[in-house]
Amino acid sequence: MQPEASLSPPPAPAVRALSCPNCGGTVELRAAGYTVHVGCQYCGSILDATDGLAKLVIKAQTALAYPEIPLGTRGTLFDVEWEAIGYLQRSQNGAYRWDEYLLFNPYHGYRWLVNARGGWSFGTMLTRVPTMQTFSTYALEGTSYTRFFRGDAQVDRVVGEFYWRVAVGETVKTGDWVRPGFMLSREANDREISWTINQWLPERDVVAAFGVTPAAKVWPPLPHQPSPWGAWLGKGARIGGIALAFLLLVSLLLSGTRWLASEALPVAVDGREQSATIGPVHLVSRWQRVRVRTTVPRLENGWVDLDYSLIDRRNQQVYAASGAAERYEGVDSDGPWTEGSRDSDVSIAGVPAGDYDLIVEYKGNRWSQNDTAYPDGGWMEPTNAPQIVVELGTGTLYAGNFLLALLLIAFPWFVGLMLHLRFEKARKEQSDFAPAASGDGDD
Amino acid sequence: MSLHLPCPHCGADVVFRSPALPSRVCDSCRSMLVRSDEGIAQFGIAAVLPFDVSPVQIGMRGIADGASFEVIGRVRWSWTDGAWNEWLLLFDDDGSTAWLGEAMGQFMLLRERPFREVRSKTLTEMAKGGTAKIGQKVELLGRKLVIADARQALCVTAEGELPFTATSGWQVYNVDLRGREGECVSLQRDGKDVSFYQGRYVTLAELAPRGLRAIEGWALPDYAA
Repeated sequence: MQPEASLSPPPAPAVRALSCPNCGGTVELRAAGYTVHVGCQYCGSILDATDGLAKLVIKAQTALAYPEIPLGTRGTLFDVEWEAIGYLQRSQNGAYRWDEYLLFNPYHGYRWLVNARGGWSFGTMLTRVPTMQTFSTYALEGTSYTRFFRGDAQVDRVVGEFYWRVAVGETVKTGDWVRPGFMLSREANDREISWTINQWLPERDVVAAFGVTPAAKVWPPLPHQPSPWGAWLGKGARIGGIALAFLLLVSLLLSGTRWLASEALPVAVDGREQSATIGPVHLVSRWQRVRVRTTVPRLENGWVDLDYSLIDRRNQQVYAASGAAERYEGVDSDGPWTEGSRDSDVSIAGVPAGDYDLIVEYKGNRWSQNDTAYPDGGWMEPTNAPQIVVELGTGTLYAGNFLLALLLIAFPWFVGLMLHLRFEKARKEQSDFAPAASGDGDD
Repeated sequence: MSLHLPCPHCGADVVFRSPALPSRVCDSCRSMLVRSDEGIAQFGIAAVLPFDVSPVQIGMRGIADGASFEVIGRVRWSWTDGAWNEWLLLFDDDGSTAWLGEAMGQFMLLRERPFREVRSKTLTEMAKGGTAKIGQKVELLGRKLVIADARQALCVTAEGELPFTATSGWQVYNVDLRGREGECVSLQRDGKDVSFYQGRYVTLAELAPRGLRAIEGWALPDYAA
């Protein structure tokens, strides 16, 4: 859209040059009309520039400050171009020094760029007042912030221009509340209370915007620095959960047994030990679980002892297992009852590929009592044609594989979790309200 | 509605757009003029506005609460700790006015309201000459507010059309109150006269401004497209 002709006079100048009444140096006024005090960059005197003239307020401080970002530097943060116009060096009674740059854009107002221990934050003054939620939390726009610091902040050095009467030594009471990525800060003196929301900035953003030199890793982390593992853990938990659910489903679908051989063997009526060989059976997988299931269809009030030997034809390696099928029935005061089962199911794990014979040794037994239904040979009577049916199969997957997959998936996640907890511990230990800190006992 | 008259001092054409705004500063010679039934009276020359980088200017248009307005006047105030601008907005639809206060890079949209509607003991005492206590909580028009600032304000100068004559050196006692949700209230006491304003913090962006002042070396913001 074209601006209306009457509204496009030549642009207003942006900078006004004043000369410092103390040292004569040129002081540039970049936020004329808003600026109240200016710290001369040459002699450190504080000047009043409210009415566009420079009046000396405080003559030359002892030490000059040299901000890392030269005043007048412009950089883009959050898609807006900002000019650094003021610089404050602050501390808590001389300790824990930090730097604050006042950023200005005539169309967007003021922001703060704060550097504490090499970590950066972007501060916006609030026009709303956060509400106290609980003893230890404040809420702003439905989000809650947990208390972290409390103390005093004083101004140690000043360069550039500010929209208030800045003075070295000026002290305010501070309080900070945090949530990942954000810090809510309150500054109060006897005149006013002001609130600022500070957004944690990745260093690369500030390097890209203002060309600062990258600092070493910030450790312990800043109070509101988000854990670099936090998002990864959440995503990892989601993806890992999906992967495990998928694996579980696959295991359930594929973990059925593939039956390779089946044979019916007669049971002698005299109950002697019998033996039979089933095979050869060819096992193809490198490792597998071999399942042997024996069913005794006619079994009643008796049992069958079963001993299996799975023998590798190549090297005579023996894999042994044993089982039993037993079943009883009768009638008592509660009515008819049965107990046991007519089959036996055993597995041999970790069998390598090869050709195998299965030797089955079995012995039929009967429970003889005067009142049994089979006073003679019972279920083993030849008229019953007693037999056992032996089936041999392989399982393709089983719980062990699933557990292994679970470990493989969960391991990196647990490493991440450990790193995350270490980060959070280091971060929280800095708090004035950390449980471990002996504290000054005044809360 | 608009009344065009020649400036009695320099002869330039001056416009009075509303009978409610009898006062204005001549755009060419900065004479302070007041219109009445008898004609135009001149009250000296307004001081030159100090250089500033405010993004607002006379003629800027925008929309507030669904109604379009034009910036038609400004008063610049100062106090011991700084200075600020009060821009006068004239709404197209009903000819009503509002003030856009500009301080510390933040904006407040305020409308004048009759002080008799205010039933606050604290504010009534202030209107009678009492001194405000900063930090004091005041319940006003169903809202909880806090006295954020109280100061003696000095009129620096003015431009454009205004509801009153803003002479340099004019002093008023100004009390600002703030609410939790960005509500603002302002009370100005000039001798026995009390003016009462109510509104809220706004951003320039939400006013959808057109005709923002161009400032050398700065790109106009996205919101002014």
